[in-house]
Amino acid sequence: MAAGTIVIKKPRRTAADQSFVVEIVKGLGVTFKHFFKGLNQMRPGGVRPDVTKFNYEEGIATLQYPEEKKPYARRFRGVHRLTLRPNGDVRCTACLMCSTACPAQCIWIKPAEYPVGHASRGHERFPEEFVIDELRCIFCGYCVEACPVDAIRMDTGIHMTALDDRGSFIFDKKKLMSHVSQDGDQLTANSRPEPGDAEHSGITRLKGH
Amino acid sequence: MITGATFWIATAIKVFAIVFGLVNLGALLLWVERRQSAMIQDRMGPNRASIKLFGKEFRVAGLLHSAADGVKMLWKEDFVPPGADKLLYQLAPVISLVPPLTLFAVIPFGPSIYPDNLRRVFGSEGWNAAASYIPLHISMADSGILVVFAMASSGVLGAALAGSSSDNKFSLLGGLRAASQMVSYEVTMGLSLVGSFMVYQTVRLEQMIQWQVDHAWGIFVQPLAFLLFFTAAVAETKRVPFDAPEGESEIVAGYFTEYQPMKMGMFALGELVEVMTSSALITTIFLGGWQFPFLKLDGFHFELFGIAKPIYMSHLAVVIISAITFIVKVALLVLLQMQIRWTLPRFRYDQIMKLGWRILLPASLINIMLTGIVLLFVNAR
Amino acid sequence: MPTFKLDGKEIAFEKGETIIKAAYKQGVEIPHYCWHPGLSVAANCRMCLVEIEPAANQRAMMLDVLVWDAQKKDYVVSKKPKLQPACQMAAAEGMVVKSETSEHVALARKNVQEFLLLNHPVDCPICDQSGECKLQDYYMSEQATPKRMRDEPNHKPKGQVFGPTIVYDAERCIACTRCIRVCEEVIGDPMLDMRERGNLYEIITSPGRQLEGHYTMMTEWVCPVGALTTSHWRHKGRVWLLKGTQSVCPGCATGCNMWVDADARENTAFRNRPRDNEAVNQYWMCDDGMLTYERVYKHRVTTAKIDGEREATAKAIEEASTIVASKGGLAVVLSAQRSVEENMVAVAIAKAAGADLYLTGKASWDGDKILRNADQNPNRAGALKAAGVESLPSVADLVKKSSSYANILVLGEDADVEDLGDLKGKKVVVLATHETSSSWLSVANVVIPIAVWAETDGTFVNAKGMAQAFKRALAPRGEVIPAWEALAKIARQAGHDTGYTKLAEVRAAAAAKGIEAPALKKQDGVAPATGTPQSTV
Repeated sequence: MAAGTIVIKKPRRTAADQSFVVEIVKGLGVTFKHFFKGLNQMRPGGVRPDVTKFNYEEGIATLQYPEEKKPYARRFRGVHRLTLRPNGDVRCTACLMCSTACPAQCIWIKPAEYPVGHASRGHERFPEEFVIDELRCIFCGYCVEACPVDAIRMDTGIHMTALDDRGSFIFDKKKLMSHVSQDGDQLTANSRPEPGDAEHSGITRLKGH
Repeated sequence: MITGATFWIATAIKVFAIVFGLVNLGALLLWVERRQSAMIQDRMGPNRASIKLFGKEFRVAGLLHSAADGVKMLWKEDFVPPGADKLLYQLAPVISLVPPLTLFAVIPFGPSIYPDNLRRVFGSEGWNAAASYIPLHISMADSGILVVFAMASSGVLGAALAGSSSDNKFSLLGGLRAASQMVSYEVTMGLSLVGSFMVYQTVRLEQMIQWQVDHAWGIFVQPLAFLLFFTAAVAETKRVPFDAPEGESEIVAGYFTEYQPMKMGMFALGELVEVMTSSALITTIFLGGWQFPFLKLDGFHFELFGIAKPIYMSHLAVVIISAITFIVKVALLVLLQMQIRWTLPRFRYDQIMKLGWRILLPASLINIMLTGIVLLFVNAR
Repeated sequence: MPTFKLDGKEIAFEKGETIIKAAYKQGVEIPHYCWHPGLSVAANCRMCLVEIEPAANQRAMMLDVLVWDAQKKDYVVSKKPKLQPACQMAAAEGMVVKSETSEHVALARKNVQEFLLLNHPVDCPICDQSGECKLQDYYMSEQATPKRMRDEPNHKPKGQVFGPTIVYDAERCIACTRCIRVCEEVIGDPMLDMRERGNLYEIITSPGRQLEGHYTMMTEWVCPVGALTTSHWRHKGRVWLLKGTQSVCPGCATGCNMWVDADARENTAFRNRPRDNEAVNQYWMCDDGMLTYERVYKHRVTTAKIDGEREATAKAIEEASTIVASKGGLAVVLSAQRSVEENMVAVAIAKAAGADLYLTGKASWDGDKILRNADQNPNRAGALKAAGVESLPSVADLVKKSSSYANILVLGEDADVEDLGDLKGKKVVVLATHETSSSWLSVANVVIPIAVWAETDGTFVNAKGMAQAFKRALAPRGEVIPAWEALAKIARQAGHDTGYTKLAEVRAAAAAKGIEAPALKKQDGVAPATGTPQSTV
């Protein structure tokens, strides 16, 4: 036998093992322990561990789903929302990056331009229509990754559940803009100031030169 | 013993009570099993089936799930596989449900009732020894426990027929496994009781109980036989850890793969009734049947440390206590069987066979031999 | 032919050609913005600088430069060769040019690129050029460093309307002046000019004028960045969602080569782009030609009709075949708007049924000497060739001789005669694409919806007699079927079987008549260094 070889002894089954009786009694001990503990927790007035929290207490671990819910993790990808500018307009610039990145092809955008004379004309465009087919969406989050202006997010914590008909899964711009994040936030984190906005530095062709 | 019309009325009542009670208790056991397994596994178990009465929702701790299952089973399509043997296919569930129900015919669930002497103390003055009595078991057959063996053996037929008539390979395999397993354990089941017969000197169950009332419970007299018989009885019910005939991981659902709701329900019900029957049998043979400890027919007789203080009770009280005792004993055994079912994993098929033929069978033979030797010495004294 | 060496590769050139043009002809691209093969040389972007090794008898022209020495931690004096613009430098025999292999050239390109992007707004997400923008391409291949300037960039007018078709964004402009040169040299009408210098430059329209005429879209087409955008494509979608298909303009008898850019997801064409062909349209197309893609979805006939009632296409074909088969004289009207293949099948029906041939098409329009032919029909020559005659009687002649026909089969709904009222009462089958020209549709008994040119393969023969093939860019919409197929079915059901079951058979028959377009190769018209990169997916 080579040096350094670890020899593991084959476990020998004792008479107690082979007769089954002792081992079965031990096993029954384990299951009875759980049984009586569970029974005690389930009796009227019994105290169960709070399953809606992330804890590891022993006892009944069943979550009564629709009535009790575990909070979703911060990174949970829920139903989309369109973030807003400080003035309440949609932040989206209708660049179609999300629509391009979408592997399920569930995003449809109709871009539009600000009219001549509008302060944002040429600087930005906006989605005249922004439609997501949530039924087709696979919640991969690529649209959020692709967005260059933090206009679309999936931090609403809304779990997509069954609706009455397929049409109600098609969310339009108004509905998407009405969603709030888990923190109740609706604003974008990237409100790039444009010459039309109050936060803009003010250097323009006329003023700067 | 009563005779004439009263006999028939009493018998009809007993048959109705047992059949109706067992079938309904089967549904209750379904609930017990679900909730018990849930507790063991730190779950709540099914509790959402509800019924709406007066605008309020009643869940009754999940009891309604059994009822909902029944309703669902009744409404599902009753489909017979085109290649199946129609007659045997339809017959199989009946055959597997009826024997365990029939078994109860010979099991006494209480001492004989003397309707005339209900308020008197047994054997005391005023006790009308000539009055007729009603035995609390249905069959008066002398064969006694042999009926049990006969009926239990015919239970094999149900599974075997179901397996062979379904026109499905999995069913056939399941049926084969069920047949061979049940036949194997039948042997142990019978031989393990031979020792008890030798001690009790009878095959009639009410006389066995009487012996235990007079002397000691069978479990103290025949401890090894109790273990052997209990194991064999569990194997007979085809439940975990002996559920190779319906091993889902290998053969889908075994012999009842092809059975649709209500017929499958009959198999399941038969299985649960069998659990109760086997528990009742074990209670009768090894746990003193309906006897409450220290309770004789005329009242309690504590005979500990030389102190003897009889507490006399009326006949009615004794009968009621005895019947309740019987039910409690059976219930505890049923719970134990359920607990075992949720504790152990399934045996492999070859392990089942090895256990039956190489361990249990020799052990039961040894038990007979030892019993014989001991009896020889005891009787010689 | 004389040659020079570019990065070790022998490049043949004609006398007087510049380095960049000779390389362009060989399929080698030297990065550039302001040079365009169809325009004069401006040499103002400095992107195409190359290193030219001195001839054996010449001294190298060297410049003193300061180079950072990491060891001394100071700048040291060094030398570098003076680089030459490849767009202006005429090629000479035996010249040794280094483009990709010279470190000095790489540094020069990187610096030029950084300068061009100094005041660029980098609004690629909303820029319609993004995806086919030279600034993006060369940023990735030549620069790839972050911006170092921390100041707010220059702001200039955005979204300025130059004319009915063009919108200008001054912030994105790199002042390559291609658009100005297009106006002067191609259109011959100096509508655009530049004002100011340095980072204040701006393209403006000539005083009192706007960008108008028949070729305004060519200014956008040559723009290498997103400064000029067409109002038609502006903010409609993204170029990477489009698939370009080799096609031929159906707008006039010139037969300009072009790409039809279609979005397969919506089965709609979104724009046309000129496809380079020196023999036909060089690098250009007119505005009307650029907008022919709208014919794919505007005013389409998508369902069959019998006597004004909507019917299934198969039913209409059945009805048409009974009309064609019935007695009383049949006139088959070919169309100068439809492809050679479709006219071939119509001719075959006429031959089998013993019918007379006529030719219809759109009325003439204003032509010019640049590209626009006075004949608005792309395939008049092809239709005549398919019929095997020099000329055919027109619809006007048909109206005159209308008494001799009871049944008329018309390919295409266009008519150069306004009023066809005299044909009322005849059984008229019209294979129509659009609802706009109502002359034939007003007298039609049976209308069968047929595919436009972009929905089927085909061939046009232009005014010069050149047969040019085009490919299917889109799936037929609605209940539309290709015209040749509809005609072949009508003939079969009418008992005048033409024997055509596949388009390839029709093409073979056309080839037998001497109408054969050179087969389109995948690379046809894909030039490495003209205009914008071809977004062929």
